[in-house]
Amino acid sequence: MKKNVQPVSLKREAKLLPGYLIMLLWLVFTVVLLGWIFAASLSTTREINMGKVLGFESGLHFENYAAAWSSYNVSVYFMNSFIYATCSLAFIILISAPASYVLSRFSFPGNKLIRSCFIIAMSIPLIMVILPVFGLTTQLRLNGSRVTLIILYTFLNIPFTTTFLMNFFSSLSRTYEEAAAIDGCTPTKTFWLVMLPLAQPGIVTVGIFLFLSVWNEYFMALIFATSDRLRSVGPGLYMMVDTMTRTGKLGGLFASVIIVFLPTFVIYLFLSEKIIAGVTGGGIKG
Amino acid sequence: MKQSKGMIVAFLAPAVVAFLMMFLYPVTRTVIMSFFQVESVTAKTDAWQFAGFNNYVELWNSVTFRAAMKNIMLIWLIGGIVVLSLSLLFAVVLNSGIRGKSFFRALVYMPNIISAVALATMWKQFVFVNANYGLMKGIWKTLGMGNVNWLGTDMIFWAMLIAFCFGAVGYYMLIFLSGIDRIPADLFEAATIDGANKPRQFVHITMPLLMGTLKTNLTFWSISTITFFVWSKMFSPLNTDLTTVTPMVYMYDITFGTQGNVQRSAGGGAAVGVIMALMILLIFMAVNALIRDDGIEY
Repeated sequence: MKKNVQPVSLKREAKLLPGYLIMLLWLVFTVVLLGWIFAASLSTTREINMGKVLGFESGLHFENYAAAWSSYNVSVYFMNSFIYATCSLAFIILISAPASYVLSRFSFPGNKLIRSCFIIAMSIPLIMVILPVFGLTTQLRLNGSRVTLIILYTFLNIPFTTTFLMNFFSSLSRTYEEAAAIDGCTPTKTFWLVMLPLAQPGIVTVGIFLFLSVWNEYFMALIFATSDRLRSVGPGLYMMVDTMTRTGKLGGLFASVIIVFLPTFVIYLFLSEKIIAGVTGGGIKG
Repeated sequence: MKQSKGMIVAFLAPAVVAFLMMFLYPVTRTVIMSFFQVESVTAKTDAWQFAGFNNYVELWNSVTFRAAMKNIMLIWLIGGIVVLSLSLLFAVVLNSGIRGKSFFRALVYMPNIISAVALATMWKQFVFVNANYGLMKGIWKTLGMGNVNWLGTDMIFWAMLIAFCFGAVGYYMLIFLSGIDRIPADLFEAATIDGANKPRQFVHITMPLLMGTLKTNLTFWSISTITFFVWSKMFSPLNTDLTTVTPMVYMYDITFGTQGNVQRSAGGGAAVGVIMALMILLIFMAVNALIRDDGIEY
């Protein structure tokens, strides 16, 4: 259905009323949840404990943010998450795009086998691979540096990304390659100069999705980023929440939750359509 | 089109190497390791001692692991019923022609882009800790649960599951939505002309044609719940607790664990992994046998 604006028909809208009610209920709950957390982040621990968050009787306490920001290495966590997400994203695309192009365009022995391997890999739980991977990185003395997590995030996401991008490459017309060949372009050059730019919408979609999932990743970061210097936002926030609950600094606790929540939320405000397309475009047979 | 062997190899090699190093090698090694007595994850293979099914027997005898299995099955079953029916409901509502479809869709999916630690903290503090004040008190009272201590031993598991489900619904809703979008509109038009009302259309058109999508959702749900970890950590008191422990948490404790009271066993951790993978396989085969979506062409 196209987005044509329908004239308001009371009869029609009345029929949809239960649907509207359900969605509105969800909306109100989400807004109240976020609103309360935001209000709490500007209140004192005493006000929060007494349940008087929305009164702001003692004014707005922006110092909660300052405290959360300075007493923990929030900026380091942010930087680390950013490095992990951008670097692994670049490598994932660099490795997956050529592989998925070859798999979707050429027929050769083993093509089907590799595709099936990638699909099976997508359903292998992390718990099945984590121990040997940890052993391997220890043996190679890779632990204790950012490189480890970047490599692991890259490798881990290659089956999904390759499978995802195959749909995009197979939908591109072969006439581009034929034209390039007539002009004397080699197949390899054709890929980098012609086909990769054409697949850009697919790459952007899957890229945003990958960026957010690496940014928020928790389990691998917990195991491989053990020092404060390497910690990303997931385990970093966990530590902050843990300490602040124990020391009873509730205002700072909510401030740190908001600090971590905001960047992804802002990205989502602008790119929600793309992110949603990334979910529904991958892993589903069409 | 000309094919060059060199190009195929060069383009595929890195991805295949990644697959071998990140999936094939670890999976094989995990399976083998689960039959050996291995204390530390980093132990060399010379230090491994063959133990047959000993690791599995030990898991079976462990109270914590049995609690973890019970919890994960409850999460899978009860959470699955709640999440999949809610997400189907939302998908149908959003597709019924209401205004603001893309806004509501983005709204329900939003929890998925928030760090799980942040989302869990929000829920824990606002909905459960704060349950005695203001709006939440009113809501819980209306639901007849005004006096429930949500973070007590009896209820903390359910508190965790409710919060987790809230965050999960959006993802499955999107997949149901894309399934519904693929059903040709003329089927519904024809049914309307024949006098079938909306509920009848849902039962006789939407549901049968959504079986393939349901299968996808069930598979994704199983894979994601098997690795249930952060939420359990967030809803556990200081240490791992029987009420909220899951297999992944147990595996973490016995292999990477820092707590002194747990016997370290990487072999046991590997066995947990194998059991989880077998469960996924079993669920996958059951889903394929029980839900048939072949034979319907549209």
